[in-house]
Amino acid sequence: MKLLRRMAKVPLGLTAPAFALLLVVFGAPITLLFLSSVNAPDFSFQYYGAFFAQPANVRVLFQTIEISLVATAICLIVGYPTAYLIVTASKTLRMTLIALVIIPYLTSGLARTYAWIVILGDRGVINNILLDVGLIDRPLQLIYNRTAVYIGMVHIMLPMMILPLVSAMMGIDRSLMAAARSMGAGPFTAFRRVFLPLSIPGARSGSLLVFVFCLGFYITPAALGGLRDAMLSTFIAAEVNSSFDIPRIAAASFILLGFAIVVLSMVGLDLSGKQEQSQTRAPKGSMSRLPIVLVIKRNFSEILRPYRVKRWTGRRYVPGAERRWPKVVAIVFIVLVMAFLLFPGIIVVIMSFSSGAFLQFPPSGLSLQWYRSFFGDASWSGAAWTSVEIGVEVAVISTLLGTLAAFGLSRISARLRGVLTMIIITPITFPVIVVGIATYLGLIQIGLIGTKGGIALAHSIGAVGIVVVIVSATLANFDRTLEQAAKSMRAGPLQTFFRVTLPLIRPGVIGGAMFAFLQSFDEAVITSLVGGLSVRTLPLKMLENIRHQIDPTIAAVASLLMLLPLIWMLVLYAVWWRSRPSMQRTLQEAAA
Amino acid sequence: MKYEINRRRLLQATSTAMAAGALSSIAGRVAAQTPNQINVVLGGGDWGKANIEAYAKPFEAETGIKVNPITDDMGMGQVELMVKSGNVTVDVGALTQGSGLVAAKKGILEEIDYSLFRKEELDGIYEFAKQPFGVANLIYSYNMVYSTDVFPADKPRPTNWAEFWDADKFPGVRTLVSGQFGSEGPWEEALLADGVSPDKLYPMDIDRVFASLDKIKPHIRKWWSSGSEIQQMLHDKVVDIAQSYDGRALLLIDQGAATEINRNQAKLQWDYWVIPKGSPNAKAAQKFIEFATRAERQAAFCQLFPEGPSNGNAFKLLPEKVARKLPTHPDYIKSSVSINGKWYNEVGPSGVSNTEMLIQRWNEWILQ
Repeated sequence: MKLLRRMAKVPLGLTAPAFALLLVVFGAPITLLFLSSVNAPDFSFQYYGAFFAQPANVRVLFQTIEISLVATAICLIVGYPTAYLIVTASKTLRMTLIALVIIPYLTSGLARTYAWIVILGDRGVINNILLDVGLIDRPLQLIYNRTAVYIGMVHIMLPMMILPLVSAMMGIDRSLMAAARSMGAGPFTAFRRVFLPLSIPGARSGSLLVFVFCLGFYITPAALGGLRDAMLSTFIAAEVNSSFDIPRIAAASFILLGFAIVVLSMVGLDLSGKQEQSQTRAPKGSMSRLPIVLVIKRNFSEILRPYRVKRWTGRRYVPGAERRWPKVVAIVFIVLVMAFLLFPGIIVVIMSFSSGAFLQFPPSGLSLQWYRSFFGDASWSGAAWTSVEIGVEVAVISTLLGTLAAFGLSRISARLRGVLTMIIITPITFPVIVVGIATYLGLIQIGLIGTKGGIALAHSIGAVGIVVVIVSATLANFDRTLEQAAKSMRAGPLQTFFRVTLPLIRPGVIGGAMFAFLQSFDEAVITSLVGGLSVRTLPLKMLENIRHQIDPTIAAVASLLMLLPLIWMLVLYAVWWRSRPSMQRTLQEAAA
Repeated sequence: MKYEINRRRLLQATSTAMAAGALSSIAGRVAAQTPNQINVVLGGGDWGKANIEAYAKPFEAETGIKVNPITDDMGMGQVELMVKSGNVTVDVGALTQGSGLVAAKKGILEEIDYSLFRKEELDGIYEFAKQPFGVANLIYSYNMVYSTDVFPADKPRPTNWAEFWDADKFPGVRTLVSGQFGSEGPWEEALLADGVSPDKLYPMDIDRVFASLDKIKPHIRKWWSSGSEIQQMLHDKVVDIAQSYDGRALLLIDQGAATEINRNQAKLQWDYWVIPKGSPNAKAAQKFIEFATRAERQAAFCQLFPEGPSNGNAFKLLPEKVARKLPTHPDYIKSSVSINGKWYNEVGPSGVSNTEMLIQRWNEWILQ
């Protein structure tokens, strides 16, 4: 307690636990990894040379970039109008649509990729229906090609594009459009000259986020793609497995990482000038300039939005009946997009009630056998329980460290805050396989390979970043004068924190804990490395099941996993609904 | 085992080291390294179940040493990680012959203590199966498998790999094993299809392999990377002719699928039971391997899962009906070829092993 009190006096000290964890589990080992890639202590680029000397590597590198670019472009083209339609919808409809976008966003990526295998497969849903109807006599080749890869990747990434766009568009003062219209601009001109430029920051953040995540993809392309649709992560993974040649793996990892960083900084710097001009409200501190932080922060503040809306209602321009948008087209479009996002999940849920021994759609009969198989089989329920246990540990560790860090970060200069936040979120921005290898090396040092605790630490380094971002977003809206008021009433710093600050930022803390849990619950790559063959989590068990046993138990698991986001949303709703009065009070005071 | 291969392929397909954990009974806890228990990687699915029934349970009963079965597969990368990090959590596992040879060369495996073996068992185990670093657990094979709907008995059927390659004479959708891991791939089949005689396969002419693969590439629906994929594809009648593990095909046939195995030009492969160097319970691990290579135990396994025993004496204990299902049945072995793990690990003039050379060529070839 004493230590805590002393640390609380130095804001930077509050970030110390988070940084210590990051350094031990991730920072030090990744530095070693880098040193081995440059052949330290002799320092040479032989491993990088060897990488580029193989034409296949170079082609795969370019292919990785190409696939990522195309997937990002599709997400943008589909996501932008979707976001626009969501923003312009009525309030209830808007909230419903946002919820419908968030559900797939929170659903296990493994389950979603699996769903596409079921849909596009040679005897998948589409082919079976066409065959039954008699339109075709041989299955169409829908899977194992580039198109299938794009479908799967876009499906996973689209929410990540739509959400930042929605929050950027929500921030646009609609009266500007009205003003433009009143000056004689047609709807299209008003859109192009006013709305579009103002929405660019959201589009940029979304695109960056999607692109960087795509660079690190490989479960989806490997499952849905054909022979030639390889991505660099696939190559790295193969290398890890076939020969644990650390310098070579390190070199390939840092080349992938290098590209991610180059793209991030190029696009980030390039547009930052415009962003500042176009944004009506100046961003608070340099943290907002970090695109990823911005996106996560915006996603989060999106959830808080209803309370802010109250403040804005007076200013918002309510579009009248004069809108000439061809409504039918808009409705059809949004229905298609939502169907695309939700259809795979529905299919899997139906499949999970199949009574056959193989994956079949439509199921030959209905039964609960695969749910029984899940709950009755100790290896499944045990794995699920292990995942829950680890997830809770991760949520506790990262919420504690992350909240402290965010609190500390909110009290230091904007410039330093930006740099430190960037460092804290590196584990989320690096390709996951690189993080996994680094973490493995880190945990070896402290002898935690093959333990649940080790896995929890490995998951926590990413989860802390998420908590920091989310809690920071809440703190940014937090009125510091309330603390000063408390202190002026002779409350100590701890008392102020627990009695004033914490209750006000509680939604952020709970949200952060939930995202941390979710991050851990769906993690397979890092776990498989640091689990050391002795800890089995649910995602690992799912992958093993796909490999060895083609029974639809996995469909039952995936269906249960799809229930989770619904529970999350209910929790979120309950938490914010409960804290609403205090939030409103804060906001009103801030506005006054 | 064959699942081990699947695993490695899926790894690539899925994540870096789909190492899974122990059965849930011990999930989450590295079994305390007490002398009276061992962690054994036994493979997943039906394969893992057969291993538990035939080896793990009777071993516990006989020795009182508890076996913690890890029902997934182990790759060489994982063994190396464990050994080099001094964090060995597995006492016994299986590696394919190629990986086993490489691992032995890297010095990450314990030496097998053959003094524990009874003489009659030792005599029964095939010569190639007795290596200083490991004992083969069983022998499985890659075969041509076709749908009897598309190729009924009264019509011409593809009898060898040259005919598999002949898509004009035998039209149909095909699948071959992916070559992404180098040590296993459709290499031998490509050479056989191109007219190389079975005894002249090694040293393999890698250029000729890929020239031959060029011809079949357009007819391949999918280059499979796990046994369950073949099972699903054959079940769904998505492919008409496949290269498949015999075990997977037999399981399908037992379930009534219209599928038949062509044993001609089958390719034999095997895995070794190995002990990672530094295993905390190496002594018990040695006992387990001795136990699991006894004729009587292997015969019990073969009845649960149709693959060939590495201890020839096991055949004496098997009814002919079961023996006929096994790839090492004397009738089949004459027309089969064996994978030459040694060639795969030879280092050529370019300084890389043939396996790595195949991986590099494969990676370039798939992008063409």
